[in-house]
Amino acid sequence: MFLTDLALTNYRNYERETMRFDQGVNIILGENAQGKTNMMEAIYVLAMAKSHRTSNDKDLIRWNEEYAKIEGKAEKRNGSLSLELLISKKGKRAKCNHIEQQRLSQYVGHLNVVMFAPEDLNLVKGSPQVRRRFIDMEIGQISPVYIHDLSQYQKLLQQRNHCLKMMQTRERSDEAVLDVLTEQLVWLAAKITLRRRQFLSLLEQWAAPIHREISRGAEQLHIRYEPSVDVSDKAELSRIVEAYRETFAAVKEREVQRGTTLVGPHRDEVAFWVNGKNVQTFGSQGQQRTTALAVKLAEIELIFSELGDYPILLLDDVLSELDDFRQTHLLDAIRKKVQTFVTTTSIDGINHDVIQEAAIYRVHSGSVIAPS
Amino acid sequence: MHYPEPLSKLIDSFMKLPGIGPKTAARLAFHVLAMKEDTVLEFAKALVDVKRQIRYCTVCGHITDRDPCYICKDERRDRTTICVVQDPKDVIAMERMKEYNGLYHVLHGAISPMEGIGPEDIKIAELLARLQDETIQEVILATDPNIEGEATAMYISRLLKPTGIKVTRIAHGLPVGGDLEYADEVTLSKALEGRREL
Repeated sequence: MFLTDLALTNYRNYERETMRFDQGVNIILGENAQGKTNMMEAIYVLAMAKSHRTSNDKDLIRWNEEYAKIEGKAEKRNGSLSLELLISKKGKRAKCNHIEQQRLSQYVGHLNVVMFAPEDLNLVKGSPQVRRRFIDMEIGQISPVYIHDLSQYQKLLQQRNHCLKMMQTRERSDEAVLDVLTEQLVWLAAKITLRRRQFLSLLEQWAAPIHREISRGAEQLHIRYEPSVDVSDKAELSRIVEAYRETFAAVKEREVQRGTTLVGPHRDEVAFWVNGKNVQTFGSQGQQRTTALAVKLAEIELIFSELGDYPILLLDDVLSELDDFRQTHLLDAIRKKVQTFVTTTSIDGINHDVIQEAAIYRVHSGSVIAPS
Repeated sequence: MHYPEPLSKLIDSFMKLPGIGPKTAARLAFHVLAMKEDTVLEFAKALVDVKRQIRYCTVCGHITDRDPCYICKDERRDRTTICVVQDPKDVIAMERMKEYNGLYHVLHGAISPMEGIGPEDIKIAELLARLQDETIQEVILATDPNIEGEATAMYISRLLKPTGIKVTRIAHGLPVGGDLEYADEVTLSKALEGRREL
């Protein structure tokens, strides 16, 4: 799919800006603090209805304005798509092909993006939370039901934690209520676990060959999903439910003592292993970078295999972070099939024909000069 | 801005209603000012009467002006079935259907530890007391299809298991008369989960 048009109104430092984009590579060029990343973020928000940088939507509205608006037109395999997202202090309103969407979970997934920013190097070395957020965002793009299950899970988790807290302080202790909440939680937890396992095993299938190529055949990548229950790779939903039931029964006393839920998808971990070693703890900087790059490139292929359309790739300030060999690999991989947006302060020193052929947009304090 | 005291008192009172902010409240208050005195008196009396005359039925918990309520008193209704709902408004919705002929039990809430509502804060004990009567053969759980409603339904069904009374849960899925294409993904997936053989 290709984003052909973008219009921003009161978005961060953009007052009113409209742009048309090339179907190949679009380079957003400019000095620091001029609005390059803001534009990338706007495309991301248009697709995901939330920012990768902040959870506070008010930050996206231009200073002293009431609302921000992002409009976009895209060409997809099965036709054209127009999207509109209005962000006000009261909340968000989303339109897809001019029809207002009642739930954001119905809006997300129409435009698919893969973002690769310097923070993504944290995917490997950062906290487990970063990796969980990554899988949630990615599965969310392909499955609206997953987004729903996840939000139900979070609500239920809060209820259960309150219940445990009351039992801990002996304010009230109704074990029957805890048991009911556990039984509900077990089903949602199992559904989420199953979906995450499927996603990660697909991701590994795509990422391992890419990683092998970038490392010139020297390294073998494994993505290991480590949920808080012990289940085999082929376990079905009912088996996972059973495993959660057993685990919850075993930790019940400790949960009451601590006043919080100790097992479940909110504690899942994902580990990246290269040649039998955990990259997070034992990998070099280079290996961590290769892993992050391989995972991002795998995501592009995974979305294509699930949806039949390539996502849009957003490369925010990462080209400069990669060495020549990795740069070339990345640019070869996207060539002629993936619409790509690249932000950078300078294109000197990148000798790849993809860059030579690219459309260049110059950004200066919130306004854009299109290529002539 | 300064309103004369009686007017600002009225505005303040309107703002106690749900969904009414200062602007709407002022508009309503000025409208009352323009109304005929008789109409205003009737309106005021209606407000007081609803508070004084409407009570909860001591049997089922539904709103009523006579105790027990007309549903509990009606001898033609099927006394072997009780439909458990969260709110008096739910009884009215069920009654609109005109298909259900059993009795009701209003819980006045759902279990929600976050809001500090446990089983003893809603009318579950009253329900159990009613079930001592051996004529009841089925309890239909019609609490809302959200997390709190499901938890409440599951809690009650567990309590009732040893009694041997048949416990059922209302189905959820696609609205009748609607088009499949307009259903959202989540409702569709629920409908698919609950499919049955024809």
